[in-house]
Amino acid sequence: MAPSNHWDTTSSPCNHLADYKLKRGVNCYSMIQQYVRTNPYGRARIEESQTEVARCSFCCGLQGRLYMCLICSSVSCCLTPESNHAVLHSQSFRGHEIAVDLEMAELYCCLCSDQVYDPDFDKAIMWKHVMGLTRTENGELRMKHSKRKRLSFGLDLDLKSVKRLFSFGDQKSKSYLPLGLRGLNNLGNTCFMNSVLQALFHAPPLRDYFLSDRHNREMCQKRLSDQLCLACDIDAVFSAVFSGDQTPYSPAQFLYSWWQHSENLASYAQQDAHEFFISMLDRIHEKEEKANHVLRDYGDCQCIAHRSFSGLLRSDVTCTSCGYISSTYDPCIDISLDLDTSTPYLTEVGRTSKSSETTGTSTLLGCLDLFTRPEKLGPDQKLYCENCKEKQDALKQMSIKKLPLVLCLHIKRFEHSAIKRLSRKIDRHLQFPFSLDMKPYLSSSVLKKRFGNRIFSFEGDESEATTEFEVFAVVSHSGMLESGHYVTYLCLRNRWFKCDDAWITEVDEDIVRSSQCYLIYYVQKVLCHKGSEEVSCQPISPRADSFVPIAGC
Amino acid sequence: MSAPNEDNFSSHAQLSSEFFGEILDSLIVDVASECHRIARLGLDRNLDEEEEELRLSAEARARVTDPSNSSEANGKYVVDIFGQTHPAVANEIFECMNCGRSIMAGRFAPHLEKCMGKGRKARLKATRSSTAAQTRHSRGSPISGYSPYSNSTSTNRISNGGVSHVASDEYSNGTQEEH
Repeated sequence: MAPSNHWDTTSSPCNHLADYKLKRGVNCYSMIQQYVRTNPYGRARIEESQTEVARCSFCCGLQGRLYMCLICSSVSCCLTPESNHAVLHSQSFRGHEIAVDLEMAELYCCLCSDQVYDPDFDKAIMWKHVMGLTRTENGELRMKHSKRKRLSFGLDLDLKSVKRLFSFGDQKSKSYLPLGLRGLNNLGNTCFMNSVLQALFHAPPLRDYFLSDRHNREMCQKRLSDQLCLACDIDAVFSAVFSGDQTPYSPAQFLYSWWQHSENLASYAQQDAHEFFISMLDRIHEKEEKANHVLRDYGDCQCIAHRSFSGLLRSDVTCTSCGYISSTYDPCIDISLDLDTSTPYLTEVGRTSKSSETTGTSTLLGCLDLFTRPEKLGPDQKLYCENCKEKQDALKQMSIKKLPLVLCLHIKRFEHSAIKRLSRKIDRHLQFPFSLDMKPYLSSSVLKKRFGNRIFSFEGDESEATTEFEVFAVVSHSGMLESGHYVTYLCLRNRWFKCDDAWITEVDEDIVRSSQCYLIYYVQKVLCHKGSEEVSCQPISPRADSFVPIAGC
Repeated sequence: MSAPNEDNFSSHAQLSSEFFGEILDSLIVDVASECHRIARLGLDRNLDEEEEELRLSAEARARVTDPSNSSEANGKYVVDIFGQTHPAVANEIFECMNCGRSIMAGRFAPHLEKCMGKGRKARLKATRSSTAAQTRHSRGSPISGYSPYSNSTSTNRISNGGVSHVASDEYSNGTQEEH
């Protein structure tokens, strides 16, 4: 099946359009281009006159859909299939078969009676957008980028040096258990810590890093100089969990170490797993960075925490007056999503519907849509537009510029009620897919959509191939905001295991799907092996030469 | 009088109805045009997969909540994949790396909190002993200052002998923060 992200060559310009282009040559669209009007929201339309409304040249009517002929620019209307003056025009004048829909600036072939598409036409429209924004000497689309420099990532992780681990022998036998499964004793309200640790043990880049001894406790500089090193303690926990020992492990030394590093979180209390996750990555980053003795721009950091989890978010603020776009890039190690509560997906699969509170289901894709939706900033949030030189109403839109290797999605399951002045946990079920394609949320896709999905390549289109992810860990929560219990579900070799503190059990997929997810960990498909299946070694993209096939062994 | 008004009214209503209809039609075709482009260029997400996932999720939830199904082993009295059972509170015993005492795993965190001097209770204990020391100082001499570090209190300490001396010791122990 053809990849859905490319210009589908099976629907190339129809014969009639192709003929027209041949006859007219390069400037076939120059005439229509002068009538293209663009608006700041990214849409294009055709307008002949700025003072008069367009009318059909046959009936002088205003109703129905209006089309402008590409050749003679006369406008015709289409009221009903029977009363189609656009087609009439094409029949009256030979060769005048292609028209443009005024409202949407789309090509219409009167002989095919269908909307048709052409990359050159879209390019012509996009240039109008470009011209309409801010002009520079060479007509380049001038968008302000924050001073944070553009970062080029790509698969430059030194996966090359990862040793081939895990010889499993006969993995087809169900009785064989994957490595790295070991219960963690609850040391007193530490399930938030245990649950995140279990997920991180199986995050491929992190796991491979520690298991291939990239952080050597004997040689650690910090340890030798009698300083605290959280990475050393993490290394110890990894060793313990992957040792093959089946009795539950007590991560006491790790807790002690973490409390020394994160004093503000050091207390005997139920805590938030997400907070712990961020704190842990922060500590790994700090210690690693200092060890490397190199000052790095935050987004460029090569510590294992950032190499695994760091992505780049893009925020576009568009002035609704002139269309000027101000973009900023910010690194992130996870994405926090608001629950999409707008459209309840009613699930009636043969069960009697119970209480009203659980009739709605949110979906992860819905939450991601919400995250990348253009948001109108309120009247009290007017921003200064550099083009207009005054404060204007603005639209803000988030998108993902660069995807991390491991994507952690944090579901914000709490809402604050300003009236009652308290926070409440949202128990609403969230449906999440096991396979996730993040393509629609990339900056290139979001930007493209904003301009009507025109066939046009924008500056710095990200590499297309690495947008597919597979889930490997789900941290779920049950209970209330102040007190509850965390449990992690791990997907290893196509089998799901529930890690509930010291208890590791195998569970059915159903349990995972119906759990109340709080943190969902996805890894890029190319990095995960699935059971006895051969890991597909398709090349990611021509650019990523450093791809190392991690064959399932 | 009512007739012309009614006519006006109905023609107004008719007109606005027509306008609304036209606007609506226009919007519908706009959306259709967008969707046509998305579908033709192959930009739509794989809707089949999405629907499949939604269906699986719905079925999963139905199966899980069905009481007739053998419920997932909940609680702490299950056998894990290695065939082991564990007590509700972890009973492994090891040495605290801060003070050296033998602690049970399930009670390690609360112990460590006090041991490291973190947490509310530990801090309260510190302030309690420090205020106790201060009140003793102030009781000892009418001219004594509040600060235990000032010379006047050391004079007091000497003048008050053993009691104050002990108090100041307690105070300094309480504020010691172990890191």
